Amino acid sequence: MLVYMVRRLIWTPFLLLAVSLFVFVLGRYGPGDPIEVRLGQHYTPEAAARLRAQFGLDDPMPVQYARYVWHALKGDFGDSYRYQGKTVSSLLGPKMWISAQLFFAAMVITLTFGVPIGFFAALRQGSWVDPAIVGSTLVLYALPVFIVAPALIVIFALWLGLVPTSGWDGFFDKRIILPALTIGLPGIAVFARLMRASTLDVIGQDFIRTARAKGLRERVVNYRHIARNALIPVLTILGFSLAGMLGGALITELIFGIPGVASFSLDAIFQRDYPVVTALALIGAGSLVIANLIVDILYAVVDPRIKYS
Amino acid sequence: MKSIRRPIAMLVLMALASLAALAIACGGGNKAENPTATPSGAQATATPRPGTQTAGSADRTPSKVAPELQQTSTPSAGSGNAKQGGVLRRLWADPPTLDPHQVSDTTSASIVVEIFSGLVRLNNDLKLEPDLAESYTTSGGGTVYEFKLRPDLKFSDGTPVTAADFKWSMERAAHPDTESTVAELYLGDIVGVNEIVKGKGAVTDAKGIEVVDARTLRITIDAPKPYFLAKLTYPTAYVASRKNVEQGGADWTRKPVGTGAFRLEEYRVGERLVLARNDNYWGRKALLDRVNFNLAGGVSMAMYENDEIDITGVGLLDIDRVKDPREPLNKQLVTVPPGFSVSYIGFNTAKPPFDDINFRKALNYAVDKQLIASEVFGGLVQPAYGVLPPGFPGYSGAVDGLNFNSDLAKEYLQKSKYSDAASRPRIVITVPGTGGSPTLDIEVVTDMWEQTLGVKAEIQQVEWATYLQDLNRRRLQAFGGLGWEADYPDPQDFIDILFHSTSNANHGAYSNSEIDKIVESARTEADPQKRFELYKTAELKIVEDAPWVPMWFDTEGYALVKPWVKGYRFTPLIVPKLKDVWIDK
Repeated sequence: MLVYMVRRLIWTPFLLLAVSLFVFVLGRYGPGDPIEVRLGQHYTPEAAARLRAQFGLDDPMPVQYARYVWHALKGDFGDSYRYQGKTVSSLLGPKMWISAQLFFAAMVITLTFGVPIGFFAALRQGSWVDPAIVGSTLVLYALPVFIVAPALIVIFALWLGLVPTSGWDGFFDKRIILPALTIGLPGIAVFARLMRASTLDVIGQDFIRTARAKGLRERVVNYRHIARNALIPVLTILGFSLAGMLGGALITELIFGIPGVASFSLDAIFQRDYPVVTALALIGAGSLVIANLIVDILYAVVDPRIKYS
Repeated sequence: MKSIRRPIAMLVLMALASLAALAIACGGGNKAENPTATPSGAQATATPRPGTQTAGSADRTPSKVAPELQQTSTPSAGSGNAKQGGVLRRLWADPPTLDPHQVSDTTSASIVVEIFSGLVRLNNDLKLEPDLAESYTTSGGGTVYEFKLRPDLKFSDGTPVTAADFKWSMERAAHPDTESTVAELYLGDIVGVNEIVKGKGAVTDAKGIEVVDARTLRITIDAPKPYFLAKLTYPTAYVASRKNVEQGGADWTRKPVGTGAFRLEEYRVGERLVLARNDNYWGRKALLDRVNFNLAGGVSMAMYENDEIDITGVGLLDIDRVKDPREPLNKQLVTVPPGFSVSYIGFNTAKPPFDDINFRKALNYAVDKQLIASEVFGGLVQPAYGVLPPGFPGYSGAVDGLNFNSDLAKEYLQKSKYSDAASRPRIVITVPGTGGSPTLDIEVVTDMWEQTLGVKAEIQQVEWATYLQDLNRRRLQAFGGLGWEADYPDPQDFIDILFHSTSNANHGAYSNSEIDKIVESARTEADPQKRFELYKTAELKIVEDAPWVPMWFDTEGYALVKPWVKGYRFTPLIVPKLKDVWIDK
C-alpha cells in the first residue's frame, strides 16, 4: 500500500512542473502585461520598463521560469503583482480555506442525499418510486447553476426571508446553505443515478442470491453486501466529479458574494497577476492528484478484494 | 496517465465558468461607491471588467478618482450636536495596498487617506488647505515652497513627526524598490526626484527636499508650476514612519503607523478591515469610534436594506423603486455629485482615414449625443462637447463643441480625401471589455455614421489588459470606451496630459504645435485667471481639430445613507472625510 502511494506520488512533481510551465509560458506569450494594467492611465514606457526590471519581468523567459521553480521549491510562490508586498500564499490561503469549507458543505449535501436516494430507488425498482426519483433527479441535473442560484435566492431569501441573499461568515453561518445547495444539487442527481445503476448491478449478482439463500436478514444483505459493493464505482466518479463541481463552485461563489478563490482568480487573470494565476493552476492540479489518490485508497477500504502492491 | 488531462480540463472548465459568471455578474448588483450606475458603454473605463460588482468600490478603474458626489441633506459635523462614538459600516473591497507611497487606485486611496496624511489636503469642497503643515510660503518666483509643520505632531504610536520624516517619506516614495506607479506624476516636479526614480536604486537623495529644521521643510521644484501644491494632496506625498516601515519589512502595512484621524485596528484579507480613532491625531479627534469595512462581499442594496451596512450606491435596478416617494427608503436617498471624468472615442490621427481633419469633423458632426443620452442611457449620462468636466477647475461652459448637424457632417465628408467609400480604409473601433457585454453607445454611434454619411465602421471588443497594451503602443486605429479621470484638480491634468504631442496619454498621436505652445506656457503661468484662459483657448482649438469624439461626462448619481449617519459627504475626488462623520442613534 505504502509502496503504491509513493509510486503514485512520485509523478506528482513532474505533473506540477508541466502545469506550471504551461501556465507560465501561456501568460508570458499571451497578450496583455501586468505592468501596463497596473499603470493604467499613468503608463509611460520608462515607468513600465522600470517596473518590469523591478519585478524581474525583463529577464529571458528561461531565467524567469528557473527562478520561479527555484523559489517555489523553497515554498515561496512569489509576491502578487496586484496586492503589493503580499505573498501569494498569504493571499490565497484565506480564500482557499473559505472555498474549501463551502466545497465540503456541498459534498456533504451531495453525498448524504445522492447516495441514499439512489440506493433507495434501486431497492424499489418496479414500483412508482423508482421512476419518480429518477425523473426528479434528472430535472435537478438539467438545471444550470445560473438558474438554480437565482431561484434559491428568490425563494429562500426574498420570499421566505429565511437566509440573507449573500455573504459569508464561516462554516456555521446560515449563509452557507444556499451556495452549498447550489453546488451540491446537481451532484445529488449524479450520485443518485450512479448509485442506483450500481446497486441494480450488484443486486443481480450471484453472491447476493447466495446471501439471501443463506437466510441473512434483509438489512444485512442490503447494507453489508449490496451497498458496500455498489459504492465502488461511485467512489471512482467522486474523484472525477471534483473537477466538474469546482467549475460550478466558482460561479456560485460569484453569485453569492463569497470571498473565496473565484472572484479572486478571475481578477488575477484579468490583471495578469502571474504569480497568483500560476499558483492557482498548481493548486488545482495538485488537489485533483490528491483527490484521486484518496479515492484509490478508499477503494481498498471499501472493497477488501482490492489490494495495491 | 489519465490525470495528465484533467488539469487542462479544469482550466477549460474554469474558463467556461468565468464566461458564464461574467454573463451573470453583468445582470445585477450595485457598486457601493459608484452610485451613478452609468450604462456599460460609458462606464467601460471605470469598469473594464464586469467581475464582481458586489464588491466595495470602483477598484477596477485604472485611475484613482472615486466618483462620489455631494450629499445634499445631511447636516455637517460642525452643527453643535455632533457626538462622539458609534460605528460606521461600509461594504468595501480588499485594498490592493495600504502603503501610501504605492497607492494608485480608489479602493486603497479611500482608506489610506484616513490612516495617513500629508502637508496639505483637499477639504470636502475640494479647496486646498494646510494639514500637517500649519502654513507655507513660496519664493524663488514660485519654485521654492517652505512648509512650517504644526507643533507637537505625532504618529499614531506617539512618536514625533519631523521634517526629516517627510524628506525620507518622499524619497522612499520615489525609490524604485517602492514600486510606485505614480511617483513621477505626483512628485516628479521636485528637483532630484526623477533622478531617484530613474536611479535604479543608486540614488536616494533628492536635493529639492531640504530639512531646514525639525519643523521646517523646503521643497524646490523645477519650474513655477501652480498645480504642484494640489499634487501633494495625493498619498504619494504623505508621511510614513521610518521606524515603522523599516521594522515592518515588506509587509509593514499590517501594522501601519500614520498621522491620519484613524488608525488601522484590524485587517483580515477578504473578511474585514477596521479603522479606529487615532488619539494622537493633531486636530479634533474623529467622532466615530470605528469604521467597519466589510470585505466579504455581498449585494450592496440587499445588505443596506438588511441593516448590515450604512451607505450604499443605488443601481439601475433599484433606482425607480427608491425614487418613489411612497417607498420608505426614499427619505434616505441622497444625490451623489458626478466624478471628474470624460469618456471619448479617440482617433489615431497618424493612421488613415483619421489623418484627415475633415473626415474626423464629419464623424463628430454625425453623432447625435443628445439622442443617445436620452434614448440609450435614459438620461444617466451627460453629453460631452468639450474635454473638461463641468465643475472642474478651469471649466468655463464656453466649449460647446461640434454639435450634431447632418448637413455639416456631409459637407466635411465631401471636403475630406476619404469622401469616396472605395478609397476609404476599413475602420475598426476597438473597445475594452469581456464576455460580450454590449457597448451600446458605440454601436449607435457607428450606426449614425453609416446612416448620415454612409461610413461603415466595425467594433472589436478586446479584453482590458490586451486593449491597454495596444493602446499604449498606439496600435489602435480608433478606440472607444476609454475615459480620463482627474488625478488632481487642475486643468493641466486634462488638457496638457491628454493633448500635448509628447504626452503618453495622447493615445491618438494628436500633434498640434500651437497647442503644445499654449499648454507649455500655461504650465508656469502664475496668474490663475490667465492660466484658465490659456487652457480654454487650447480646449476650443482641440475640439475644432477633432482628435476625439468626446462622449460623456459623469452625471449625478444616487446613494442611500442611513438616517443615523451624520456628516457624511460624497465628493468627486477622494478626500479624508470620515473624521467628521458621526452616528446619531
